Amino acid sequence: MSRRTGTRFGDFLSYLFMLAMFIFFAGPLTYLLSMALRDKREIYRGVARYIPHNPIVDNFITVLNNSYFPLYLWNGLKLAALSGFGVLIVAMPAAYAFSRFQFRGKGLSMMGLLLFQMISPLVIMVPLYRYMNRLGLLDTHFAVTMVYIALGVPLATWLLKSTVDGIPRSLDEAAMIDGCNRFSVFWRIVLPLSAPGIASVFIITVIAGWSQFLVPFLLLTQNNLMPIGVGIFNFRGMQTDSSIQLLAAACLISVVPAIVAFLSLQRLILGSMTSGSVKG
Amino acid sequence: MTLIAIEAASRPHSRSFMRRFAGAPLPWIMPVIIVIGIFYLYPVIDVFRLSFTNATLIGDNQDYTLASIANMLSSPQLPDILWATFVFVGGSVIGQQILGLAVAVVVVRGEKRGLFGTTILRTTALIAWVVPGIAGGIIWQMLFSEAPYGALNSILRLMHLPTVAWLSDPAIAPWSALISNIWRGTAFSMVVMYAALKAIDSSLYEAAEVDGATGSQQFFFITIPQLRAAILVNMILITIMTLNTFDAIITLTGGGPGRATEVISLYVFNIVFRNYDLSGGSVLSVLMLIISLGLAVVYASFLPKEDER
Repeated sequence: MSRRTGTRFGDFLSYLFMLAMFIFFAGPLTYLLSMALRDKREIYRGVARYIPHNPIVDNFITVLNNSYFPLYLWNGLKLAALSGFGVLIVAMPAAYAFSRFQFRGKGLSMMGLLLFQMISPLVIMVPLYRYMNRLGLLDTHFAVTMVYIALGVPLATWLLKSTVDGIPRSLDEAAMIDGCNRFSVFWRIVLPLSAPGIASVFIITVIAGWSQFLVPFLLLTQNNLMPIGVGIFNFRGMQTDSSIQLLAAACLISVVPAIVAFLSLQRLILGSMTSGSVKG
Repeated sequence: MTLIAIEAASRPHSRSFMRRFAGAPLPWIMPVIIVIGIFYLYPVIDVFRLSFTNATLIGDNQDYTLASIANMLSSPQLPDILWATFVFVGGSVIGQQILGLAVAVVVVRGEKRGLFGTTILRTTALIAWVVPGIAGGIIWQMLFSEAPYGALNSILRLMHLPTVAWLSDPAIAPWSALISNIWRGTAFSMVVMYAALKAIDSSLYEAAEVDGATGSQQFFFITIPQLRAAILVNMILITIMTLNTFDAIITLTGGGPGRATEVISLYVFNIVFRNYDLSGGSVLSVLMLIISLGLAVVYASFLPKEDER
């Protein structure tokens, strides 16, 4: 009997904690939405108008009609998607090699890769800015994409390796006996079977690229080349307290694509991340 | 006829070449080596080199000197910066670890008992995690704002309580920055803890149940020890992520009021790209590297050895 009331009480506490956490995590985002839907007068009512009496979409229209905003969105998408493909091209063969070959220094180089993950992008940006400047690559999307790729490669290689580890070696061996060489094993067997892992790494890289601020902020100066992160930052600089609803709308526009991409593939992404972290 | 002959003649050769080429690991790893070499290794070496110079971002002339190291390390601002960084990183690691573990435990329990809302909570926490840093800073600025639309203060006003200077009081601003970072980072800890909790052998709990262990005993004597490796790895990752955080702070407080929230990454940014002091920024970058490596080594020394497990 006491055990049962204990469980009931535990359930009650769980619900209470879950509610508090839900408010903590969802509150800020719903407030952003609330602000983005308000007109100028309702802004000043604060939380008292959590659900606006006169919800409007004018703020979104104003933001999207801003001459640069659609360009920011396009640039952000382009850079993020290109870096997603780039990361896969660089990391996938290495993941295959780390999974299937035995060679000296393998463990060490895998650890080394993680070590690079620890380096702040800021540290490498200082010299990279100078090189890009010398090479005349400042203000090019090429330079920005290359740096995004470099930032994404260490983690991607680890995640892809654990995906390839999950494919039975006997399939490789059977294909080799049938006359496949390493390349065709990789191309015809490993690559198709890694599709879920590849998709999740692609999405993780794209979301990371979409969130990037530092790299484009330093390497780009022309407004028409800026991706969304920097665009929002500049847009914020132009707003005042009376146009905060516009900033909220702009912010929401920058947040929603990442959320949609993540939610639609949540299961896949978490699956690949957790399988990697459990195996270590 | 000739075509076939050429093909037949060339095939064994190219095949053996392919086999030799593809059978060695190096060609497969080459792209990663090149990318890491150009974009990580070379810049890092250059940062070390630059910290021994007096280079600026604009001029090309530089001499080798120890002056910038001495200047930077004896700068009167450095203790404040390091303290702000310590509070921000330390608070984030503790907060995200505890909250992430708590959410993961409750979600796992809720899933087991079929409670309503576990998936909703997990998903909401994860959404906060994919919000870009810049947007996160803007969102929290709206919540903390002392203008009429500021969410937290307008709640306080509704309840007839005195308002709080969340972002303009140097004693409070670091805590505000901390809360916003915990909001953004907790989901990561939650994912790691969730995976680790799921991996614990359930027979351990069954045995404890038979022995009459209470819930809290089970938590402290089974769950926590079993999670040890995951907790330490998670702490390394959060420490490094927080130490490198920069975009969320630049939009939330810009380092202010005064220098109350100017963490080291923001300071490096300001030194290099606002003061054009390349060598000083390099010295600080090296300092950042040493701090994160040092912490990683400390955490890693607590990790259980492979054969112990």
